[in-house]
Amino acid sequence: MTGVLVAIGIVVLGVAVSAWRGLGLEREVGIAAARATVQLTVVGTIVTLVFEHVGLAAGFVGVMLTAAAITSGRRLHGISSPAGRAGAAIALGAATGLEPLLASGAFELTPRELIPVAGILIGGAMAATSLTGRRLLETIEDGLPGIEARLALGAGALEALAPAARRAVTTGLIPALDQTKNVGLVTLPGTFVGLVLGGADPAEAARIQLTVLLALLGVEVVAAAACAALVTRACVRPGERVEPSGG
Amino acid sequence: MPPDGPILAARGLRAERAGKAVLDGVDLDVPAGAVTALMGPSGSGKTSLLRCLVRLDEPVAGRVTFEGEDFRSLDACLLRRRVALVAQSPAMLPGDVRANLAYGLDIPQEDELHQALAAAGLPAELLDRDAARLSGGETARVAVARALTRSPRVLLLDEPTASLDGRAAAGIEALTVCLAARGLAVLVVTHDEAQSRRIASRAVRLLRGKVKEEGELAIVGGAR
Repeated sequence: MTGVLVAIGIVVLGVAVSAWRGLGLEREVGIAAARATVQLTVVGTIVTLVFEHVGLAAGFVGVMLTAAAITSGRRLHGISSPAGRAGAAIALGAATGLEPLLASGAFELTPRELIPVAGILIGGAMAATSLTGRRLLETIEDGLPGIEARLALGAGALEALAPAARRAVTTGLIPALDQTKNVGLVTLPGTFVGLVLGGADPAEAARIQLTVLLALLGVEVVAAAACAALVTRACVRPGERVEPSGG
Repeated sequence: MPPDGPILAARGLRAERAGKAVLDGVDLDVPAGAVTALMGPSGSGKTSLLRCLVRLDEPVAGRVTFEGEDFRSLDACLLRRRVALVAQSPAMLPGDVRANLAYGLDIPQEDELHQALAAAGLPAELLDRDAARLSGGETARVAVARALTRSPRVLLLDEPTASLDGRAAAGIEALTVCLAARGLAVLVVTHDEAQSRRIASRAVRLLRGKVKEEGELAIVGGAR
């Protein structure tokens, strides 16, 4: 509890700095901190229950996936079924990582291992989906003359959109790539820190972190590619036309 | 298609933007081997008409035929290769002029690219120039050359000289006449009455999305 109180003190310091420098972030930082406190308290209680009742674990993963789909879908406004498309990309990406990890025995199919690993993978897939999808829609809006130049030269709609999709996927994967390249040098990721703080051997913690980190990279690539494919198709109209929104 | 019929024709074309008609029952004939000027004030529907003719916008009513066939029965990609649209401010694709000319061609032949450049009045040396560094006149000509590499039957030019100086504009005018003389059907959007008289034999005048006048240029011009 002391740690939480100290952390709250650090947030208060941040709020004070914001007020002192006139950044106007006091309210937003306060709300974010309050939300995190409430959500983690609730989640901690729920996860304790879920850990004791195996049947609830799958439902909890479903709730995580739904929340991720809704959050990412908000970034894709303007296309048809944004949450559905985001959810499909996130689910495909997360499943790509989760299934082999569970099937190989790297993690056990128990609530205690399933929920944290699924949470990390769904969270990573969500971030890649949001970034890729948003960037893709912006690129299509801004680059419509170039896309229509390709259409006018006889390209199909998907072919004309392919350069925008490639750029968006590259942008969407920057955080995952940077995090993977700089792990241990610039950042100590959460899994490693959590395990070490929990008393695990640092070498064992590093092994588990590496497993999660590499899986996460693959998951994000799949989610970003799936998101780009689903968003580009949402912008294609009959007659090989492209409309970035209004679908 | 009748032997002397228009290669591209529209009947009763209606298009809407945000629920408002931008084209309202437009009839249009574009014959081969001639330059047709498409005139009218800003907002009269000229660009909308060109976009509908190549299905970049979808008309809500009416019919377009290319060589006598309804354009909805044709593959849209093939239609756009046969009816080539050059936008008012043509977007160059990333890379050099060669990459622009060769875009989407199965096996681009060097002599084909040279011929397209020559037809647009450009030297072969331009092939290796970065397309982003072309002048306004060069961009307009490269855009025409790029369209010509698809072997179109109809060329739709949206204000091709709008941002060019007198010399570059004269070059594009001469190119337009030359392409029509080689058998292409050319439809040129222009605000410039004098330009339409220099290059076109026919004219269509739009007003608020409707055809106000259509016919031989002397008649349409004289009716004003």
